[in-house]
Amino acid sequence: MIYAYAFVAIAACVAIERFHNRRAKIAIALALAAFLAIAPRFYGNEAVFSILADAAVYVMLALGLNIVVGFAGLLDLGYAAFFAIGAYTYGMLASPQFGLHLPFWVLLFLAAALAALFGALLGAPTLRLHGDYLAIVTLGFGEIVPQIFQNLTKYTGGPNGIAALDIPSFFGHSFGASVMPYYYIALLGIVAALWISRNLRESRLGRAWMAIREDELAAKHAGINVLRSKLAAFAIGASFSGIGGVLFAAKLALVSPDLFGFQVSVLIVSMLVLGGMGNIVGVVVGSLLLTIVNSALLPQINSLVDTTFHTTIDLSNIHFLIYGAILVGIMLFRPEGLLPNRERRDEFHHNGEAEAEA
Amino acid sequence: MHEFLAQLANGVELGAIYALIALGYTLVYGILELINFAHGDVYTFGSFTALVVLVALRAAHVLHGVGLILGIVAALLVAILACALLNAGIERLAYRRLRKAPRLAPLITAIGVSFMLENLIELWQGSAPVPFPNVIPNPELRFGALQVGVQQIVVVALAIVTMIALHYFVQRSRLGKAMRAVAQDRDAASLVGINVDRTIAITFLIAGALAGVAGFVGGVSFGSAWFLNGFGAGLRAFTAAVLGGIGNIAGAMLGGFLIGLLESFSTWFIGGQWSNVAVFSVLILVLVFRPSGLLGESLPEKV
Amino acid sequence: MSLLELSGVSKRFGALTAVANVTLGVEEGAIFGIIGPNGAGKSTLFNLLTAIYRFDEGCIAIDGTSLAGMTTQEIARLGVARTFQNLRLLGNASALANVMVGEHLLLRANILDALLNTTRERRERAEAEQRARELLRFVGIAGIDEQFARNLSYGTQRRLEIARALAARPRLLLLDEPAAGLNPSEKRDLVALIRSIRDGGATVLLIEHDMGLVMNLCERIAVLDYGEKIAEGTPNEIREHPRVIEAYLGAPA
Repeated sequence: MIYAYAFVAIAACVAIERFHNRRAKIAIALALAAFLAIAPRFYGNEAVFSILADAAVYVMLALGLNIVVGFAGLLDLGYAAFFAIGAYTYGMLASPQFGLHLPFWVLLFLAAALAALFGALLGAPTLRLHGDYLAIVTLGFGEIVPQIFQNLTKYTGGPNGIAALDIPSFFGHSFGASVMPYYYIALLGIVAALWISRNLRESRLGRAWMAIREDELAAKHAGINVLRSKLAAFAIGASFSGIGGVLFAAKLALVSPDLFGFQVSVLIVSMLVLGGMGNIVGVVVGSLLLTIVNSALLPQINSLVDTTFHTTIDLSNIHFLIYGAILVGIMLFRPEGLLPNRERRDEFHHNGEAEAEA
Repeated sequence: MHEFLAQLANGVELGAIYALIALGYTLVYGILELINFAHGDVYTFGSFTALVVLVALRAAHVLHGVGLILGIVAALLVAILACALLNAGIERLAYRRLRKAPRLAPLITAIGVSFMLENLIELWQGSAPVPFPNVIPNPELRFGALQVGVQQIVVVALAIVTMIALHYFVQRSRLGKAMRAVAQDRDAASLVGINVDRTIAITFLIAGALAGVAGFVGGVSFGSAWFLNGFGAGLRAFTAAVLGGIGNIAGAMLGGFLIGLLESFSTWFIGGQWSNVAVFSVLILVLVFRPSGLLGESLPEKV
Repeated sequence: MSLLELSGVSKRFGALTAVANVTLGVEEGAIFGIIGPNGAGKSTLFNLLTAIYRFDEGCIAIDGTSLAGMTTQEIARLGVARTFQNLRLLGNASALANVMVGEHLLLRANILDALLNTTRERRERAEAEQRARELLRFVGIAGIDEQFARNLSYGTQRRLEIARALAARPRLLLLDEPAAGLNPSEKRDLVALIRSIRDGGATVLLIEHDMGLVMNLCERIAVLDYGEKIAEGTPNEIREHPRVIEAYLGAPA
């Protein structure tokens, strides 16, 4: 069942990518959206849509990171920190922790703003750094943030985190135990994220990012404020993650510091790399593929192997191996990702020649 | 005073381990401008190979008298060899193809390799820490108020000897000079007849060997090995390399000891749960305010 | 007052003095050439003008505004645009996108416009695209709009870079060896192009190796040798200047 949904979504994405006609693209996108919105009435159970809702949150995260890595060319290895900030915003302000029970819908926006603020705070001093150094600094930040949440036990519940978070409601109708509201909200979130991503890519700011990614010195000479443009990328990317964090925390009704480690940051980078950095549709495909493998395929293969051979192998243990193999394999054999954008493909395949000419 | 000296000894011991790992980062960065993210996991691999050798030898009941010394040397040598080959293998299979790729590609690949190594080591040795065979006798020695174990002395001495040997190798030997030439200008080095591929491969061998020494020493010192050890230790060591001035051998040693002391004293003063925050804050501050490190020189941007 | 004024400008790299006590003025509307043997400090001088390097001594001013302490981006805002000796195009972007990046300072859309794709953003984008197409036509490379910069021929890339610099509507255009690698007919076109750029209102300062081209095109010329300005004048004065002859032909034995 879950594969049917994933297959339809991915096939539609590939079709959108392959068609050149703008009308056809829009038609396919609308059909896909309608299908995903109506399908729950006919098929599927809560478990399937729980996975799909998680997948949708990851798609949002990946689209956010894509703005930073794919558009502006800044490798952020601590992106999960903003996810944590979003989740803890909900965890601390909508739970018995402080007796504050702010509404979910308000916190969605507050978390986006807070994550953006922290993105800017991290970025302001560090964005002068180049390439690998920036990556390592963001990694350091990504390690510090969950550690701080873990250590400030009085406010954050320490290593155990905060449980029994409020169940959101919509005009007085509580979400209850159903995952469907999260599924629909996450779908809406993806639509918004896609729209914003496309707007940004085509905008003056998007062209500035492209210039910075390609040649920072040339960008400066065109009068582009490099630092401010990078900050914008960091802040906007982080805000997507903040919203994702609220959705994630509310659905799980729990936050704890171990949910936001380096592995999560690398998982999202893997989604980008798999799908093709910079390409909006490719990123969606990459994140869908990886989430489905993680949450559906691996457990199923696991139980199949166990029942067939009467073993108790734990295949969930090979997540890291899979992310690692994806990163290495894609970089070595198809650096532009499964669905590259035109620009990146050329960049990866012609760089050697260009250097030789220069 | 006692506590202070104990923390000092502790910090120096930690620092020696970080310095050994940091040298591996610095050597590779110096020559390829690549942060070999998998280096920390090569260190973990070193700990486990030494552990496996020692466990096997203990099971064979040969670890006493001369056999003990030979056994320890054997474990160290096996760790060195295994790590050197692993590191060079990673270079050959993964990084070599990416020399001309855009800058982010090798780093992303290195992270991928790191994840694969961690997972493979976990599949091999399980996800819980494995106790390191406690075969090296560890009587406490007293020097006035300072109390140190023999193990601590061995650990630090072994690290320092290794570093001195490395220093002379890089400064004096033919190969060392070739390494410096390639680090300076790869094209020019190849024009004067230096085999660049081979020199880079040898750099990875040496960096791996250092990680092997560190892996052995770290196993002895921490008393256990864990599949994720390399992540934290690697990041600390990388911080050390950056603090000292990346690409700079003396800087990596200095940085290693400073980070070791920082960790030990921050644990003492503000608690172990904050030591990560302290170390990474140092990393961020150094990179932001003095990216060339304590001993590095800043180079003007090429136009 | 001159549009660009340098007085006593020096730049040292360690023991090497790349630019030594250079004073010169470029009048508004001029085509001004800087020549000199390899390593004379010409490119360094350009890099001082756009703050890639900081000068150690002296003063540089554009229209009376001192450049001391300014960043590259701030200098661009003063109306200075440039090309590079080794071309710095955005290789993986279309020719049109390259020129549109050059228009950055003409546009006003902010981050909110970008997020929401407002009317202002869309109107500006359409106008920018229109202007970019016109500029490509103006520099003589119409019809390559959608091609990637890196796939273009060398001569086309040179023109594209000039188009990108012009896109900012600069008051002062710095051209770093614009004729390098061009064949004679391309050089003739380049001379015509630079003249029409000047006629369009920009002041042009160029570094060039091709003496014939400089003598033919420039109204005033300065000669650098070992970082020092050894002569300045009209093409005829330069041609007969003894120190220039000495610098180019070597000191008489």
